[in-house]
Amino acid sequence: MNYLSAFKISASGMTVEKARLDVTAMNLANVHSTRTADGRAFVPMQVISVAKQGAPFASYLSAASLHGAGAQVVGVRERNAAPRMVYEPGHPEADGKGFVAYPGVDPVGEMVNLISTMRAYEANVAALNAAKTMALKALELGGNT
Amino acid sequence: MNVPSVDFLPLGAEGAYATKSKPGSAGDFAHWLDQEFTEVNDKLNQADDLVRKLTLGEVDNVHHVMIALDQARISFQLLTQVRNKLLEGYQEILRMSV
Repeated sequence: MNYLSAFKISASGMTVEKARLDVTAMNLANVHSTRTADGRAFVPMQVISVAKQGAPFASYLSAASLHGAGAQVVGVRERNAAPRMVYEPGHPEADGKGFVAYPGVDPVGEMVNLISTMRAYEANVAALNAAKTMALKALELGGNT
Repeated sequence: MNVPSVDFLPLGAEGAYATKSKPGSAGDFAHWLDQEFTEVNDKLNQADDLVRKLTLGEVDNVHHVMIALDQARISFQLLTQVRNKLLEGYQEILRMSV
């Protein structure tokens, strides 16, 4: 089942990019959230992903080590972003000085994240399709089909 | 000019060919084929199950379903090719003039 290793690797990459997209959507959806459901201030999130295998580089070159390879999400952390203080004295969530703390979501940065996530996902799809085409081409060997 | 005589197989030689494929190992390919059939069937069922789950909204990643479908397709095509090669060889033998 060695030809499936490329599938697994691309699938893990796609899963990571899907998580990244989810978190970006979450950040964008909460641009105007003054707090989370449990009362704390909402802080923009960021996906932390690592390569699945902590093996030395040389072992990546041997096919046997590719079985468990790929990428994985190790956590969703809060980004270090200061809240955006907006002066809205009439707002029910305003503090004593009339400022409302909106999360420090950077919409432009999130859009850029979105695009790079989409491109990375597409790259994974392209790699998987190449693997599939190679496998199907190999089946044509010596045949008249 | 020395024309060599047509050599028929010496008596008992067919025994040597017969022992090449032991009765026990004759089932090896059949066993392997059976195993492959089971595996491909499992893959097809798995893909089927995933598609059903996708329509029910129980799968969170569409690409897992598509990859399972692709794997099932490639496995099935591999098995089809093996079967084609097998039949091709068999028919080649049938066409042999004795």
